[in-house]
Amino acid sequence: MRSPREEFIAGSRAIAPVLVGTIPFGFVTGVATVAAGMSAAQGIALSVLSFSGIAQLITSQLVAAGSPVMVTVAAAFVVSLRFLMYSAALAPHLAHLSLRWRLLLSYLMTDQSFATGLARYQSDRPKDHLHWHFLGSATILYASWQAAVVLGVVAGAAVPASWSLDFAVVLSFIALLVPAVRTRADLAAAIVAGAAALAAAGLPYRLSLVVASIAGIAAGMAIELAREKRR
Amino acid sequence: MSTWLAIAGVAASTFLLRASFIVFADPHRFPRRFRQALNFVPPAVLAAIVVPGLLLHGGALDLSLGNPRWIAGVLAILIGARTRNAMAAIATGMVALWLLQWAMG
Repeated sequence: MRSPREEFIAGSRAIAPVLVGTIPFGFVTGVATVAAGMSAAQGIALSVLSFSGIAQLITSQLVAAGSPVMVTVAAAFVVSLRFLMYSAALAPHLAHLSLRWRLLLSYLMTDQSFATGLARYQSDRPKDHLHWHFLGSATILYASWQAAVVLGVVAGAAVPASWSLDFAVVLSFIALLVPAVRTRADLAAAIVAGAAALAAAGLPYRLSLVVASIAGIAAGMAIELAREKRR
Repeated sequence: MSTWLAIAGVAASTFLLRASFIVFADPHRFPRRFRQALNFVPPAVLAAIVVPGLLLHGGALDLSLGNPRWIAGVLAILIGARTRNAMAAIATGMVALWLLQWAMG
């Protein structure tokens, strides 16, 4: 059986390949928050408190558009719903831990540390100090992410508006969208949501985002249900 | 001030969703239909942000060649789909936008 320290180091190693993608993404996110008109302190506070690239980007995007607080929070909530699934998947493995541990690991959970953590939980090695493994990967990811965001915030503040760095926000969403479209139902969800967002663009308070997301999810479900029926 | 409120709200949302089952609820399973619907959240929400970001110019639909953003965006999508590399897609789109803006003066 490995000691807590050995598990922590093993977790740090498991997350290392992911950092190649995370560090540049954090940098772009930092640039995007200041391009959206947030101060450096706001950009860094948002990153430290929410620790989610997608939530940070969508908040920047909506703050830049002058959206009401409620719409911004609702949009961030919707894009973060995947954490609910991760939380449900990890909960049985963490149920024996103290409240303090569960709060800490919840705060540090991300797409990447969920993936490496769950893979470790599902392996058949001894499981006594597995939360240290999760803590190791999550801590390394957290430190790298925050450092990259701070660099981006500093760099973004120094770049003139004529460089159109706000476009980096849209591009970073494209970089997330492309791998998220894997099936025909995903494609239908994306196309319908995109078209609905254009059609509803005149709605006040950027409600178009909410309307279009629901339309897209409904389209994806319709394709999925039709496929199930054919079988 | 409202930006700070938004930051607080976003922070609370992300934390509560992460902690939902780990801290607060019994880890019972979701209804299957709900889980299926959650699968479509990423493509739907991301497309709802990307498409207007590329095609709307000052609130109006602009599919002309005078709008460099949709051209740069389509290039980024193609490179992203081809290479499966997020940074390649972002870099392509950004460089394409600069070149197009420069070419259009």
